Parts: sequence; C-alpha cells; structure tokens
Amino acid sequence: MNDLRRMTRRGMLAAGTVGFGAAALGLSAGRAAAQAQAALQLSWLHSTQFAGSYIAQDRGLWSQGGLEVSLLQGGPNAPVEPPVVAGTALVGISAADYTAAAVEQGAPFRILGVAMQKNPFVIASLPGNPVNEPAQLAGKRIGMALANTPVLQALCTLNGVDSARIEVIPTQYSPQPLLTGEVDCLLCWETDLPVAMTIAGVDSVTMLMADHGYALHSQTYIATDDSLANRRAELVALIRGEAQGWQIYREDIAAAAALTLAMFPDAGLDLPTQLLQAERQVPLMFSDLTDANGFGWWTDETVAANIETLALLGRKVTPDLWDRSILEEVHGG
Amino acid sequence: MMAAWRDLPVVRPGDGRVTLIGLLLLLLGWEALARSLADTYLLAGPVQILRYLMEERALMARALTATLGNALAGFVIGNLAAILLAAVALVWPRSQRIVTGVALVVFCLPLVATGPILRVIFGPGDGPQIVLAALAVYYTTLIPLLVGLRAAPSGWLDLIQSYGRGRLATLVHVRLRVSLPYLFAGLQIAAPAALLGAMVGEFTGAERGLGVLTVRAMRGLEVEMTWALATVATLVAVLAYLGIGGLARMVLRDAPPILLAPPRASLPFGTGALRRLGSAAGVLMAVLVLWWGGIAALGLNPFFAKGPQDVLATLITDSDAAATRSLLAQAMAETLILLLPGYLAGLAVGAGCAVLFSLMTVVAGVVMPLAIALRSVPIVTTAPLVVLLLGRGATGTITLVAIMVFFPTLVACLHGLRQAPGQVMDVFDSYGASSMQRLIRVRIPAMLPALFAAARMAVPAAVLAVTVVEWLATGLGIGTLMARAASVSDYNLLWSVVALVATLSALGYAAVGAVETRVLRRYAPEQLA
Repeated sequence: MNDLRRMTRRGMLAAGTVGFGAAALGLSAGRAAAQAQAALQLSWLHSTQFAGSYIAQDRGLWSQGGLEVSLLQGGPNAPVEPPVVAGTALVGISAADYTAAAVEQGAPFRILGVAMQKNPFVIASLPGNPVNEPAQLAGKRIGMALANTPVLQALCTLNGVDSARIEVIPTQYSPQPLLTGEVDCLLCWETDLPVAMTIAGVDSVTMLMADHGYALHSQTYIATDDSLANRRAELVALIRGEAQGWQIYREDIAAAAALTLAMFPDAGLDLPTQLLQAERQVPLMFSDLTDANGFGWWTDETVAANIETLALLGRKVTPDLWDRSILEEVHGG
Repeated sequence: MMAAWRDLPVVRPGDGRVTLIGLLLLLLGWEALARSLADTYLLAGPVQILRYLMEERALMARALTATLGNALAGFVIGNLAAILLAAVALVWPRSQRIVTGVALVVFCLPLVATGPILRVIFGPGDGPQIVLAALAVYYTTLIPLLVGLRAAPSGWLDLIQSYGRGRLATLVHVRLRVSLPYLFAGLQIAAPAALLGAMVGEFTGAERGLGVLTVRAMRGLEVEMTWALATVATLVAVLAYLGIGGLARMVLRDAPPILLAPPRASLPFGTGALRRLGSAAGVLMAVLVLWWGGIAALGLNPFFAKGPQDVLATLITDSDAAATRSLLAQAMAETLILLLPGYLAGLAVGAGCAVLFSLMTVVAGVVMPLAIALRSVPIVTTAPLVVLLLGRGATGTITLVAIMVFFPTLVACLHGLRQAPGQVMDVFDSYGASSMQRLIRVRIPAMLPALFAAARMAVPAAVLAVTVVEWLATGLGIGTLMARAASVSDYNLLWSVVALVATLSALGYAAVGAVETRVLRRYAPEQLA
C-alpha cells in the first residue's frame, strides 16, 4: 500500500517532467524551425558588464548565425556552474579560479574564451591613505569577504609582502566600511565599488592586482565537454555573436550603456554609473593580444601565467582546461 | 459575554490618536538618527525616502508588483500545504510526529543550498521565488494550526461521539472551528515571511523585483534606494499583517471555550523515550527516502545534487573526513555561541512584550507596528546597520537573531493570551479580580501552548538569521562556510553542512518539545492527547 502510493507519486512527478519538456519543445518548434535555442548564464545582475551580449541580442548577431540566445541573469545566490552542468545553459560566464575549482569537483568544463584579459580585482583605498603598490598593504586593515583570503595571499606571495602584517576584516561587499574608516582598503572589482564611490562624489585610488603579477583570466566563457563535442555549431554562433557584440561595444560605449538601460528598465540602473563602469572595463577586456588575434584570445604564455597564479590559489590545472578551437573557428572564418 | 478576541486589540480604533502620536515620534526619531549618521552611508531618513519614492515610483511599482505577486502565490501555496499537512496529521494521528519532523527538516534547509537547485529545476521565471516564499510560511502556519486543532473542549468531543459520529464530523464541527484563531495567528506571521522569502528567492537570478533592486542598491552605495525598498517592503508586510488581523476580528466572534481536559497519567518509565526514539527513526527514514527519491525523480545532476551516501563519505569514509569534521565543528561552535543567546533573548522579549501589551494596550498600539516593521525589514538591509551600531562582535549578531525570534513569539503569544476562556474571565470579573491576577491565573496559562509553539517555530528562524548575518556581515561560522563551499563548487561540503544544520535544528526542536511536554502536562493536557 505504502509502496504503491510512493510509486504513483514518483510516476506523477516523472509525467510532470515529460509534460514540461513537451511544452518546451512545442514552443521552440512553433517559433522558428531554423533557429536553435541556447541560454547564456551571466555571472551577475544585468549591467554594462555584459553589454556586448546585449548588443549581440539587440542587433540580431546571434539570430543571423541561426541561434536564439536567452540571457539568464545571475545574482548573489545564483552560481554559474550548476545550470551549465545541468544543461539549462549552454555557456556560462565564470572565471579561471571558479572553473578550476568546479573541475576539481568533477565538472567537465572547458574555457572557450576570455572576455577579461586582465583580472578586475583591485585594492581600493582613499587618497589620504592610499595603497598604490603591494608593499603599502603592510600594517593596513583590509575589508573583504573571507572567501577571498587566498586571493590576498597570492598577491602577497607574488610581491614578497608578509601577509601576517595585514589585518583582514570580514565585510559585506560594499564601499561603506571604507568610507566610515572601519577599514583602510577594500578588495573589490575595478568596475563596481570604485565606480559607486566616484558617482557618490568620493575619490578613490585603485591598485589593479593584474599589474602586480596576479594573472587570472576573468569573465571566461565555459561549456561542457559534451557541448563541445555535440553542439559545436551553436557554440561557434554564440561566441561569434559575443565577439561581434563586444567589438561594437568598444566603438561606441555610450550607445552600449544606453542600450543596457533601455533593455532592462526594471534593473534600477542609472546612466552615469553604467557609462563609467563601461569605460573602466575597456582596458581590462582589450589588449595588444586581442587587437592582433581577436576578442577573447589567449596564448600558451598567458595560460602558463594563469596556471602559476592558480597554483598560488591552491588549484592544480593543466593547459587543456583551455580549449581554443571555438575561438579559432570564430576568428578564422 | 465579552468576546475575548476583541479584548486584546492589536490596534484598537479608540487608541488611534495615541498610535498616531507614537508613530510620529518614531518617524522624528528615525529622521534625527538618519541625519546624525548622514556620513556613514547606512541609513536614509523618511524625508529622503519619500523624495526617492516620488521620483522612482514607476520603477518601484513594477518591482513591487513582481515581488508581491510571487509572495502572494507562495503565501497561498504554502498555507494550503500547511492546512493539508495538519489535516493528514489529525486524521492519522500516528503520522503527526513524522509529518512535523519532515516539515521541520525541509524548513531548515538553508537558502544557499536550495536556491540554486530550485533555479536549475524551474529555469528562468518565478518558480524559485514562489517556492521559497511558500517554504518560508508553511511551517509557521502548520505548528499553530496543529495546536489549534487540539484546543477543543473534551465536552464537545464527547458530544460528537455520543451521537455516534466519527473523526470527520469532529474535524468539521469542532476542531476546524476552534483552530481558526490559531490559523489566523499563523497567517499573520506568514505575511512578512512570504515577502522576505520572495525577495531572497530573487537572489537566484530573477529578472525583476524588490530583492534584485536591494542587491543593486547596497552594492552601489545607494542608501536612499536601499531604505526606500526596505520601507516599501515593510509597509506592505505591515498592511498584510493588519489586514489579516482585521479579517480575524470579523470572522472570530466567539469567545474561546474552556478547555477542561483530564490530566494525563504519566506514562510508565521509559515508554515516552522509546516512542520518541521510534518517531525520530521514522522521520530519519522519511527524510532519507525523500532526499534520495527527490534527486532521482527530478534527475538532478550529481555534480551539485549530493545524496546521503555522498554526505556519509564526506564526513566519515573519505581520507580527509577528519579534517572536514573538525572544520565543521569549529564553524558550528562559532555559530552556536551566538545563536543560543539570541534565541533565548528573542523568546523572552517576545513573551514579555505580549504580556506587557495585554496590560497596557496603548503601548501595544505604538510598539506593535514597530515590531512588525522590525521583522519585515529585510535582514539583508538591517544587518549592516545593526553591525555599525553594535559592532562586528557578538552583540550585533545576537541582536539580529533575537529580532527574528522575537516577532513570531510575540504574535503567537498575543494570540495565546486571547485564548483565555470567556467564562473563566467572567468568574474572575465577578470576584473583582485585578487585571494582574487575571493575567497570572488565566491568561498566562492559556498562553503556554502558543509560547511553546513559538519556541519550536523559532528554532529554524534563528538558524536562518544567524547564517544570513554570518554570510553577509561577519564572515564567521556555518553561514560563511556554506557560501564559500557553494562558490568553489564544493557541493559535498555544502550538503554535509546542510545535513548537519537540519539535524541540529531537529534536535533543538526536540529539546524544546521535551520541556513543553513537562509543562503542558500540567497546564494544557489536551495538547498531549
């Protein structure tokens, strides 16, 4: 009796899943027979951080390639890895350290492209008590999430700073503790908290960790081995749209910021913030390397530098975590 | 006979003027505090907030619509589930311990773990927000409802039996009726919880809503926006609370009946412990079956969906299991040291306030809206302010836990105080008993079942509060460990923490239950039948 009931319930659940699946299939068949569908899992809330993707969608750069892409917003409780592993998203936007951690736990990920050539982590401080180089960290109080302790350790090791001389104060991800003098500096991104401070009328000093040996690819495009084997055409179409979208972004940043606001009226964005953020990420995304080879590119040398930094973070990876075949097809053809 | 429900108003029309003056003073104090903290980027005053709301009313209205819709859907689904579970437990009494046990374990599952999984199951859309809102409410309705369904005078039950009618008739004619006040208490507690659940659900990648905007505002140093959002959320929760209270006053016209149940003979030594052990094993079995079966039925990917066997391996058989265990033990110790004082303080202040309000209704008129507001302001917004005012040390965390525990306790106890039987009150009236005597001899004993129900409900609420504060503000303990495990895809560790948190919450719940049994055997034996 008991078993029977349980089986029925399981049967109903299974039937429900099939029903949903059928509905989804019916929907896609009805829309456009030629268009394949894929989702791109973003790593955070909508902002100009992903403006290249918005341009790709707005200008139909993906649909020209036969792909209909839906953009899945991230958030504080929305890790990128599960939807990519589960297949809900074809591609996710991650970073080399998170990807390496997931691979260590058995996720079959490859990095297909690198949107942020330079890691966006900075040490932000106020001009009256600035941190312009790693040596100045000694004796300072730094506000950060404790989860980022390995990042600070790696910076110290790379620059011969005694990390025991830095006082770590666990804070929420907000500029507020710096402004109230609770801490002397913050570990944050070049493109978020310093931008918020500037908009609020507070000058700040930022030291880009990438300029001091912290080589770690960020905003990387990841996909599973299975997708690389079986959905190549869709991956090429998606990354090609990204490359084209970010090229257009670079040519007219103001238009990209305006488009971001227009596409997401419910996101509570304001133009000055989005514009400043968009400007600040340009030097992180484009370099001589990408000018020579195309958006998202990397070389054996940059990968080797990444592997060294990852080792300092306690992650052992091999160069085959990176797979350039999709990029080569995008920029070759 | 005087209707006792009206005897202890939350906000009585006659007190309107006093309430208004009290609220005005509160607003003035708020404005003054905001101005004195102006350069801390932590608190915005009513004037700034009003200006912001006027300027951004379209954005706010759209966000509110999205969040409110999900909260409402979750509220309805969660409360229906609670009613259904209560009915099952009542019709089939043996299942009750297992139903409440499993319900507790599900309620204790940390959002950091459930959010991403719900997002994978539902994909884009409102699914996770609605489910998390429903999960936030069903338990706090189920527990008072189960208390209420048993708060029937034995004479009424005998009457039904003497007509030869069965359990169903008892349920329809007696139990449903006596349980209504308790149901309304549950619904009132549920209203702010549903809103908070929907907002936290938006952290899993929702497109729009108050929660999405809150995250944006806090990171962007937009203090006015942060507090405007908190104000909107709070106002809506307060209105929902008062609305349900008004509905209750319209529906509940009868005075609570006298509950004269014979004191239960204490069971032979050992039987109670044995029975409890048996039901604990039943709960464990049910949870394991649901856990295993759920992962299998939903076809969840083993990368992030870990089963009982994975947790067992992580904690016991793996080569680094000892290191994992000591990591967990250390984090758990950090958490418990803050959790327990906050929990006890919240219970004491909640019950104390309820008693105080029953003596001084004027105080209730002013403090009650503030109490609802305190509980409704999203904890993600208040955590940094409390940390600034009280420091990153123990006091801040303990206070936040106490706030989360305080509100459900207060509401449940207020309802409990109202359950003092009208006839008994009449007897006391005719002897000219003082209100203090009535309080000690009638109201407080009548409140006890509600207080213990609150104490049980508050166990998971306290766990939620402490883990959120650790995650967002202090960077200590089990809350931080979970967030860190999720960020580096260490789902074995995450699920181990989840299993541990759920187990310890259930044990805490059982400990409260043991105290409850001893006390209620004397004061409310009908609850132990």
